[in-house]
Amino acid sequence: MTAVTRSVNGAIIVDVAGHIDLGTSPALRRTMLDALKTTGRLMVNLAGVRYIDSSGIASLLEVLKEAKAREKLLVLYSLTAAVSDVLNLTRLTRVFEICETEEQALKKGAPAEGARS
Amino acid sequence: MSFVLPSHPRYLSLVRAAVGELASISGLPPEECRGLILAVDEALANIIRHAYRGQNGGRIEVDCRATADALEFSLLDQGEAPDPARLAPHALDDYSLSGRGTHIIRSIMDHVCYSQVPAGNHLLLTKRLNSSACAQPGDRT
Repeated sequence: MTAVTRSVNGAIIVDVAGHIDLGTSPALRRTMLDALKTTGRLMVNLAGVRYIDSSGIASLLEVLKEAKAREKLLVLYSLTAAVSDVLNLTRLTRVFEICETEEQALKKGAPAEGARS
Repeated sequence: MSFVLPSHPRYLSLVRAAVGELASISGLPPEECRGLILAVDEALANIIRHAYRGQNGGRIEVDCRATADALEFSLLDQGEAPDPARLAPHALDDYSLSGRGTHIIRSIMDHVCYSQVPAGNHLLLTKRLNSSACAQPGDRT
């Protein structure tokens, strides 16, 4: 599992790839929580995730709780079938903010055009 | 197909690969293969987390059997006996961080049978090969 962060238009994106399971989810959780400290808008790109289990979903939930507690935004995008399967099975599709593409995700919570003077 | 594994998460991917191949050559479609991999993986993760309390030196025996009409996965460990309340079906709270693994296993498998045997804790997971075609609402144990 790899989780690489980058900054785009004031948001932090975490690009996640590989298998998220009992062994790798703690590292992903740490990466996401560390990234959340530095931004008000955290985007998690799941396009490269080939497998995720309930411990990975629990990590995403923990970050969501932290984001809500601090009035920050967490968006998941580019879900693979592996991720969608588990979110459906655990009935969490409505709990998370989910977008299809990075472009759509970055529009969430972004300052409106012309809002800056 | 049998494995004896240490109770360490690094070996989960090995079992996932084997279960996926077995499901595939048994004719299950990709979506059901993914489900089966997930269910067996969740069961193993529960053993590591709960029966062995995260200790990596435990022993887990995994036996995978393909019969004419079902795939069976037998898991045996010598850790602590599971809490019956954790194994029982229960409603999911939106933000609950625990209990989702057991829910996933019961959602995917046709039969989930736990027993304590002289050799330890035994979990038998069964997936009928024709369950997609003939499963009826409520037809799960």
